[in-house]
Amino acid sequence: MSDIERELEQELHRVLDPMSARPIPPRRSIQAHRTLKTLLGGAGAALTIKVLTGVAVAAAAATVAGVATTGSLNPATWGQQVEQRVSDCKSQLAAGAHGIGDCVSTFANQHGAAVASAARHHGNGNGDGSTKGNGSSNGTGNSNGHSKDHLKGQATVPATLEPEASDPVAGHPPARITPGP
Amino acid sequence: MLEEEGSREKGVLPEPPVEPERYEPGSEPDFERLYRNTYRRILGTLIALVRDVPTAEDCAQETFERAYRNWSTWRPDAPVEAWLHRIAINVAISDRRHQRIRQAGEVIRRLGRPAPGPDPSLVAERSDLFRAVSRLPTKQAAALVLRHYHGYTNREIAAALGVPEQTVASRLAAARKHLQVVLGR
Repeated sequence: MSDIERELEQELHRVLDPMSARPIPPRRSIQAHRTLKTLLGGAGAALTIKVLTGVAVAAAAATVAGVATTGSLNPATWGQQVEQRVSDCKSQLAAGAHGIGDCVSTFANQHGAAVASAARHHGNGNGDGSTKGNGSSNGTGNSNGHSKDHLKGQATVPATLEPEASDPVAGHPPARITPGP
Repeated sequence: MLEEEGSREKGVLPEPPVEPERYEPGSEPDFERLYRNTYRRILGTLIALVRDVPTAEDCAQETFERAYRNWSTWRPDAPVEAWLHRIAINVAISDRRHQRIRQAGEVIRRLGRPAPGPDPSLVAERSDLFRAVSRLPTKQAAALVLRHYHGYTNREIAAALGVPEQTVASRLAAARKHLQVVLGR
């Protein structure tokens, strides 16, 4: 054994022996660490991912349900549907007859009622059944009464979630669209 | 029997080898016994590696926590203290790494201000030699402490560190050379 090795041995014992001779403390509990690690790692992490996935799926389902209720979330899509409807109404028009307003308004009312009903669920809807409306549906029922729309629209029943006696949406006048030449 | 005892009294026969403690993997009372039997030796190693006693104590607790988590998978064919030392050295390496990061942050925070010195009673720097050991790379310092403080053979150190025996010899040689240079011998 070289001098430095001997010296090293003596020095390590001289310094470390008194320090490591201190009383042995109680072993630290790992309960708290375990709980945290269970949540953050291993099976806990898998469970967390499952919960988050469930929340995401539920949110997606709610969105899909909303789309099914209102027809479409995108106003552009609704516009295309109206255009299509106008075109259909024109083609259905008998020879010599004029005016497709009632035909189109039936369709508009159907969509408007659905939108307004869904909006009432959220408490602040502003759907009014017309493509350029500005009415606000606050659930108090302020219909201004155009019952002919209801009567003429019986061919297609509005798809409302909550049929109400006084539907403010259905009370708006139909959109007037004049047929082309 | 009597003759044996009489001979031992005269110092003719060597002391009987101490029966190594037996532990059952996964046994709670056995782990507690292991903790009592080995805590001081593990702490000694850690003080040499991380220098200050509170940090070494914290690392020792961390070592036993990690060991406890894997206690059921420990295999009795390997010396239990070697296994613990291996964990302790990994904990010390990890702590040194974090210490360097903390020190860098501290330097930036204290720019222009004098840093307070550590409590001398809690810092294991009693000589140039000890200070030089604790500043060696952790793996070299660990090999030195296991060899010259705990009296392990190179083979036992190799088992503890999970490296070839030749690697242990290289680390010890490099550590001794480094100490000689630092101490000017």
